[in-house]
Amino acid sequence: MLRLLVKKLLQGLIMLLIVSAITFTLLSAAGGDALSGLRDNPQISEKTIEDMGKVYGLDKPLLERYAIWLSATARGDLGESLSFRVPVRTLIQGRFFNTAIISLAAITIAAAIAFLLSILAVRSRNRVLAGVTELLILLSASTPRMVLALAALVITLRFSFVPSATGSPGPAHLLLAALVLAIPLISIFLAQLRNGLIDVMGEDYIRLARAKGLSEWRVLTVHALRAALNPFLTVTGLSLGGLLGGSVIVETVLGWPGIGALMVAAVRARDIPVVMGVVLFASVAVWFGNTLAEFLQGLNDKRLRSGDTTRIY
Amino acid sequence: MADVPNKNRRRRDRAKIAGLTIVAIFVFAAVFADFIASYDYREQTRQEPSAPPSNIRWRDAQGALHLRPFIYAQKLVDARNMRYEEDITRAFPLVNLSRGHSYHLFGILPTDIHLFGVNDQRAENAPRLRLLGTDQLGRDRFSRLVHAVRFSLLVSPIGTLLACLIGVAFGAISGYVRPNLDMIMMGIADTVISLPTLILILAARAAFPLEMPPFKAATLLIVIFALTGWAEMARLTRGLVVSFKEREFVLAARATGLTETRILWRHILPNIASPLLIQATLMLPVFLLAEVALSFLGVGLQEPEPSLGNMLSLSGDLTALSASPLVMLSPAIAIFLFVLGVKLLGSKRPRT
Repeated sequence: MLRLLVKKLLQGLIMLLIVSAITFTLLSAAGGDALSGLRDNPQISEKTIEDMGKVYGLDKPLLERYAIWLSATARGDLGESLSFRVPVRTLIQGRFFNTAIISLAAITIAAAIAFLLSILAVRSRNRVLAGVTELLILLSASTPRMVLALAALVITLRFSFVPSATGSPGPAHLLLAALVLAIPLISIFLAQLRNGLIDVMGEDYIRLARAKGLSEWRVLTVHALRAALNPFLTVTGLSLGGLLGGSVIVETVLGWPGIGALMVAAVRARDIPVVMGVVLFASVAVWFGNTLAEFLQGLNDKRLRSGDTTRIY
Repeated sequence: MADVPNKNRRRRDRAKIAGLTIVAIFVFAAVFADFIASYDYREQTRQEPSAPPSNIRWRDAQGALHLRPFIYAQKLVDARNMRYEEDITRAFPLVNLSRGHSYHLFGILPTDIHLFGVNDQRAENAPRLRLLGTDQLGRDRFSRLVHAVRFSLLVSPIGTLLACLIGVAFGAISGYVRPNLDMIMMGIADTVISLPTLILILAARAAFPLEMPPFKAATLLIVIFALTGWAEMARLTRGLVVSFKEREFVLAARATGLTETRILWRHILPNIASPLLIQATLMLPVFLLAEVALSFLGVGLQEPEPSLGNMLSLSGDLTALSASPLVMLSPAIAIFLFVLGVKLLGSKRPRT
């Protein structure tokens, strides 16, 4: 277990280094920075811009700037936002919390629905239920979050039962954003869990458990579900990146003050420190989620604990 | 019981036919965008901002039925509330293959024939057929929608193709090299899969100026999609190559002295093509949506060029959105239908 953890930690660090280096290079090399807007202004002299560049350290070569950024980041200092004039860390922390809340709520909602429907699908051979599940998978897989978010916006405007886009984030607002985030997840979770369960139910040890005289419910929840849990955890880990991407849209449309909405504002203002900070936070979050998923899989399945990732195809 | 597989197959075939129909309609719209769009998508009519969709009628004010559908001219009567009234004194019949603004079909054939339009287009006070009304600048929303579909259907398949090429090459190499290198390569692919792609795309987009000519913007989008989207394809290809490279027919090919490249190209790839194609149909909607998302957030294709995303961003106008949601969200409905069509087309056999 420890070996797995060390391995994941190293992997995460390397990933962070590469991602931040690429983003940093791209952002610096493309020529534009937060000062390019000032350059178009005839009122501001070349000298002033140069001085400002010195203040921000923009006159130094790329590699040195990256090293400076890296060492500051390692000390937990992400710099100051160019457009908000506050430290990037304080800016991101609050927003990140908001995004984490709706993401977790979304995963919970989607997982609850997926568990319920897949257990029902295994328990009963009801064809109507199977058809409904199939339709739900198709619809949730093919309705983009943007469409859902806009539909949700229309509904709130029509019935105004929740404070719409401009309102402050309350519980109803949270629920709405989480629901929109959750719907596309349902198809991913449901397909994985249901197929996993159907496969497992044909195994010999399930027949053995039944033969022992265990109740069908116990066979399902204790024996079968546990075996079907690991692929589900993998998918959950892998869907985190997409979830963060989806939150960009959902937060922008529904006005939820999260990290995605911040990212959009920062990109529009070319606020490089904030962009770098969000990329860093998002990468760390996704890495953490994946590691957690793998860790939980190890807890669930002893065979995975050695950290040996021999793949089975 | 014996008819269950057949029934499943029939159901799957029906789903595929439905998907194919939807996709074919979209492709047709994209190819013949100028022909289908009744008007120039850039043309602004300042007398008709935010006009509602034309009311297509069969029965006139006197109650008489007409064989041809017709519309009345609309006039803006209340500029504050954007209220329009119909002038019922004269009916303008709709015709197929009407003449309108001139354009070049496929960029070469000069013509001015459109799929449908209002008769007497050049007559004074002739109304325009607004299938989806107009936007704030009086531009015909239907014409913009058709051209937006064209842009999306140009960018996302090219991006998918490029990502597939990178992914298949990376995966095939990974499946062939030493286990250590294979592990590193798959580690890279896993990392790329788990990255928060849209956030990275946004970051990459921040590096370039916001205002961009359409062609440059499209190229940039395609490159970004390809660089972020290849990994899943690589993973799938690698798995399939590994499982195939020790099969009997491959061993036989090797025994006859063929080179490994030739074996891969002529013997393995044709055999793994169909799962790769299914994966490609799964990638297409992802890229389409990424393009829509970027344009929606104002960092993709810029006005006046229409894209599904920047058309949708107009729905930030909440009064217009709540007044006529279906019209404002027509690009969203188009996206939904297209994604549904692609999903149906690539659907696997339903499990029971």
